[in-house]
Amino acid sequence: MLVFTRKLDEAIIIGDGIEVRVLRIGKDGVRIGVTAAATVPVHRREVYDQIRAANAGAAADPKSLNQIAARLRGAALTPAGQKS
Amino acid sequence: MTPLSVTNVVINFDEGLPGFESVRRFVIAASPALEPFTLVQSADGAEPSFLAIEPRLIDPSYASPLAESDMLRLGAEPKTPLLWLVLISMQPDGGATVNLKAPLVINPTTMRGLQLLVPHSQYPIDHPLPSV
Repeated sequence: MLVFTRKLDEAIIIGDGIEVRVLRIGKDGVRIGVTAAATVPVHRREVYDQIRAANAGAAADPKSLNQIAARLRGAALTPAGQKS
Repeated sequence: MTPLSVTNVVINFDEGLPGFESVRRFVIAASPALEPFTLVQSADGAEPSFLAIEPRLIDPSYASPLAESDMLRLGAEPKTPLLWLVLISMQPDGGATVNLKAPLVINPTTMRGLQLLVPHSQYPIDHPLPSV
C-alpha cells in the first residue's frame, strides 16, 4: 500500500483523472472529496462489502431456480398485510 | 408501472456486480416456469445465477434515487424506461429475502446495467418475502 501524509486541503491524484482531497479533519473522522469522471463509480468500502456479501448469498445453482421459483410463487405478490 | 419486455437479452454490466466483478455480461431471462421471477445469469461462464423480481411487485411505492452519474453509466435520459430487479436470497430456514437496498437497474435501450449502491438507503438488504 502506498501511504501519504496529507494536510488539510492537500490532495493526491490517481491515474490521470481522479483526485482525492482532504476537506476537513475532525475529531471523529476525515472528510474526503473525490473528483472523478461521472462514469467512474466511487463507493464506500463498507457498503460495497455489504452488497458483495449479499450477492454471494443470492447466487444460486441455476438447476434449482425453477424449483425455487415454484416454491416462492405467489408469496412475492402478496406483501405482508395485503393477503389477496 | 408498465412492465418492460426484457427477456433473453444480454445486458452489459461494465463494473460487474460486487463479488462478481469479472462477470460483465448477464442474460436476463423470463419464462412461464419462473414467473413472476426473472433469471439473471452470467453470460461469461457458469456462475453466478440469480433469481430476481421487480421491486414494485414487493413494494408498489418502491423508488431508489438515481444519480446523474448512474444515468450516464446507463446511457439513459430522464424519460428512458428502465427495468429494475432485486436479487432474491434463499435462507437456511426455507424462507427468502430480497435485497431492496442494492437493485439492478437496466436500460434495455442501451443494453447496459448496473447494481445501484445507495449508502443510506431506506430499504433493507434482507427484506423477507412472505412465506407460502
